[in-house]
Amino acid sequence: MNPSLTESDELELSAYCDGELDAASISRFERRMREDALLKARYDRLMSLRQAIRALPQNDVPSSLHARIGARLDAERLDVERPSNVVAPRRHGWSFQALAASAVLGAVISSSVMVTMDRYAQQDALAGEVVAGHIRGLLATEPFDIASSDRHTVKPWFTARLPESPQVPDLAAQGFNLLGGRVDVIGRNPVATIVYKHAAHTISLTTLRAGQSVPDETVAGYNVRSWRDANFTYVAVSDLPPADLAAFERAFGSAEPAPEIK
Amino acid sequence: MQNKDERSAFDEVFLPYLPEAYRLAQWLAGSASDAEDIVQEAALRAYRGIKGFGAVNARAWSLAIVRNTAVSWLTKNRPRKVVYMNDLSAAEQQELELEGLYGTRIETPEDVALFKADAADIEGALAQLPAQFREVIVLREINQMNYRDIAEITNVPIGTVMSRLSRGRQLLVGLLEKRK
Repeated sequence: MNPSLTESDELELSAYCDGELDAASISRFERRMREDALLKARYDRLMSLRQAIRALPQNDVPSSLHARIGARLDAERLDVERPSNVVAPRRHGWSFQALAASAVLGAVISSSVMVTMDRYAQQDALAGEVVAGHIRGLLATEPFDIASSDRHTVKPWFTARLPESPQVPDLAAQGFNLLGGRVDVIGRNPVATIVYKHAAHTISLTTLRAGQSVPDETVAGYNVRSWRDANFTYVAVSDLPPADLAAFERAFGSAEPAPEIK
Repeated sequence: MQNKDERSAFDEVFLPYLPEAYRLAQWLAGSASDAEDIVQEAALRAYRGIKGFGAVNARAWSLAIVRNTAVSWLTKNRPRKVVYMNDLSAAEQQELELEGLYGTRIETPEDVALFKADAADIEGALAQLPAQFREVIVLREINQMNYRDIAEITNVPIGTVMSRLSRGRQLLVGLLEKRK
């Protein structure tokens, strides 16, 4: 794997370079940079990119442009002053109230940098919790609470324990064998996790409430891949390479929905 | 008489930012002669709209006009060169915002060495960036505007400015690494 930063680290690094973080975040980020050589190296690279861009040669305004603008505005004025032209010159609908409002709301708007950072931090935290569930599963005697390769057993088991439970497709034909299911607690919510096996690799597929967002990334050495449908946000965690997780997503997405079993 | 006032208002509000306006237009258009046409058109728009100027931030106001003029001028005169977000479908926009150039995920180069790129490399890489990434980078690095003003000028939320800057820089790094 290439050493890479999480999305939220990329954003924070950019915002730090641009002087857009608040004081507390600046000192926290600088502390992290002292301890994290990769982060520091990425900072140095961004700053050298900045220097390279700022060192680009800049052309001065040609004096002919000054003259052209002057002449064009003079023509515009004559046009307006001509007696036949009693109609006011066409105006563009610039919304300058928006600018005025932004001055008033300045404090609120600049805080949205921090709000955005928080949102990304929460997404990362979510991924971290899902991965923690996967790790706990691997450390336990079995990575599941209900062992069954029969989806007609796993689905009712979820239904009995959770307000909403996902479809449990049988993906054996695509190389992903159903091992069973468990209930993970993400935040304060119990959620269904379906466990599959692909060769020697365990895949935990955690189903979060729809509309949540989890970035695809690597957490603690495990690959995380997330996608959504109308009912759930799915988060697959495994030590499988990203390409295999992508194949898993495709297999899951195209699986026939199981007939409803009460 | 009013026209006289408008002209002096224009001289006070827009004219001081003419060098910046020209620089912005040049990097957005990737051409000095196109930049002249864009700035002239923007100056005319500013002059016509000067009465609407609310005396808040003359610099952001002026550069917003230049940016908007550049978008419409380039869309009209250089349609093949510049693709703007608005021309893309919602799905394509999402893909570009989230996954970078041409739908591929951004591969962060392993080598985190510093750049020794020369001006031609940087210019080439900037020209290759999709317009919505290029404009935030130019506004930030060349015009040195803050996020709030960039959000104002490009008419997107600050969060979008942040993510475009971050993505845009990653894309630039990737493009420059490839040129080596």
